[in-house]
Amino acid sequence: MRIEPKTIIRFTLEYFDIIRDMFDAQVAEGLLKQEHLNDIYSKHNRNIESQLLEYKILRRVGSDFDFRQEYFLFLKFILEEFRPLLPEHIEKYNYSITELFRKIKQDIFGDKEVLDSRLKNLQNEIREFVSAVEHNTISLLEQTRALKANLEKVDYREKVQRASFWIDYYIIPLNRILDVTHNESVISKLYAISEFVNNKRLNFYDEGIRISFEHLYFQLIQTNDDLLKQSRILTHELLPLIERIRTESTILTGFISFLRNPYKTDVPKLFKRKNNMVFSSNAALNAKAFLEQFAKDDTIYVEDAIETTDRWIFDKDYFKDKLKENLPVENFFDWASLTLKKEYRNIETVKLFALTTLLFEDDLQLEFDEKKKNKKIKTDEYTLKVPNIAVSNYGIF
Amino acid sequence: MEYSKNHKQIVEDLMAGRFILPSNKNFLELKEKEKFYEDFFKASFGHDLIMKQDYAFLVSDETNEMLSRDICIFFAILCYELDKDGRNFLDLINYSEFEYAQVNDYFENSSYLDVVRNNSRLRDSSTRNEFMDSMDRRNIIEKTGNQKFVFTAAHRNFTDFAMELAKTKISDVEA
Repeated sequence: MRIEPKTIIRFTLEYFDIIRDMFDAQVAEGLLKQEHLNDIYSKHNRNIESQLLEYKILRRVGSDFDFRQEYFLFLKFILEEFRPLLPEHIEKYNYSITELFRKIKQDIFGDKEVLDSRLKNLQNEIREFVSAVEHNTISLLEQTRALKANLEKVDYREKVQRASFWIDYYIIPLNRILDVTHNESVISKLYAISEFVNNKRLNFYDEGIRISFEHLYFQLIQTNDDLLKQSRILTHELLPLIERIRTESTILTGFISFLRNPYKTDVPKLFKRKNNMVFSSNAALNAKAFLEQFAKDDTIYVEDAIETTDRWIFDKDYFKDKLKENLPVENFFDWASLTLKKEYRNIETVKLFALTTLLFEDDLQLEFDEKKKNKKIKTDEYTLKVPNIAVSNYGIF
Repeated sequence: MEYSKNHKQIVEDLMAGRFILPSNKNFLELKEKEKFYEDFFKASFGHDLIMKQDYAFLVSDETNEMLSRDICIFFAILCYELDKDGRNFLDLINYSEFEYAQVNDYFENSSYLDVVRNNSRLRDSSTRNEFMDSMDRRNIIEKTGNQKFVFTAAHRNFTDFAMELAKTKISDVEA
């Protein structure tokens, strides 16, 4: 008796947790052993074996069971539990697609039904091919990310092994399948098919076939986009990620090997700094290099020697005697100005200041009248305002 | 012969055992005049200029083996401990900031504590801090603050050494 499809769907929905555990067990073991099934039934406190067999979800394999392929693929798809297919598995689509295309071209004016059927088969093969590539990329990406996160604490040596294995057995061959620059790659063949199909969808004499060509053509355009996307993931994300894991683990392998005997392994050369002594063998070369650096002939300006004049030295005793000869003096600065003019013709500031020091001599008595206005004296540089200071001898002479 | 205006600085840096990095304006000049400087150092001092994609340095026949060995031990232990901690050490070394204290913690709790204790430059936090300062002077690390640093591209000189060592070991085993 045929079972209602909705009944099966309702059943899988109701017991999905049990079915999922069974699926995981089969993925891990390759088939469902009776003892595993019993464990699952006890865990969920429910035995659904008879329905699973009645609805043809499971089938017996000796004393064990496995999922029927249709259900297994369905569960695999909805649970995104893909295991990467070896590229040679994907490569089989290369042959089937090539063969179908060859026959379509060969019998293009043959039986219409056969042609239509071949076109639909070609569509199916292309669909399966894209699906296989997508699943491979997804599963490799997931596994690589998991290895990168390393939640399983995988040993660094195993990391190198896994990464190298995936690169060599999956990623590089898969990349070859998707290599547009390679004539024999599947994707190149799909381009050639696309060109042919485009032509036929426009000018094939039969309308029904033209529509089939049209469907195939739009599928091919979509396929092209999907494959390019997969190729980008492969080259821009997956390969660098996995290469990074491999590099990291190789570095660690090297460092661990080095740490086993760190003082007996040759290490990278590192520059040894030297103090350049004048007696070192390199001194001549160093000096040459140093001199060469400044060997540029710059214009040299030599300034004329500045004419020097004898420096004036203040003869204190001489001027003190002069002052004493003139005592009492009503205004010291008048006397100083006059004296300097007599001696040197002009009043230099520095000489006037030197004479001013005579005011601090102990044997001279100074008087300063605040009521008298300050006087101005013009020197060679400045005009100085000076107080009115009278000078006389100390005591009675 | 016309020397570039940064010639003196380039020679001084390289002769001081420093790595010259792309962040330094002299790196570009060195790259542009690579052949000249190769000849210059070879003819003047007998040294080899090593020009990598993102760092440059000098090597002499007389090598500072002790320092190089200690730097290798430093990297080896740090990478090992970071990995043990479940971290992607290459990403960290390339892109993260480290603190002296954090590095010291890794060394103090290292599985290679015997190697650490027997190394005069790495044996305790004070010698390690000095050691990290000396790596800063050679431009292997770059200080980003008080007791904080990032690794420069020059670290590749030592991680590449580990890669080569691993490849040699692997090929030895395979042979």
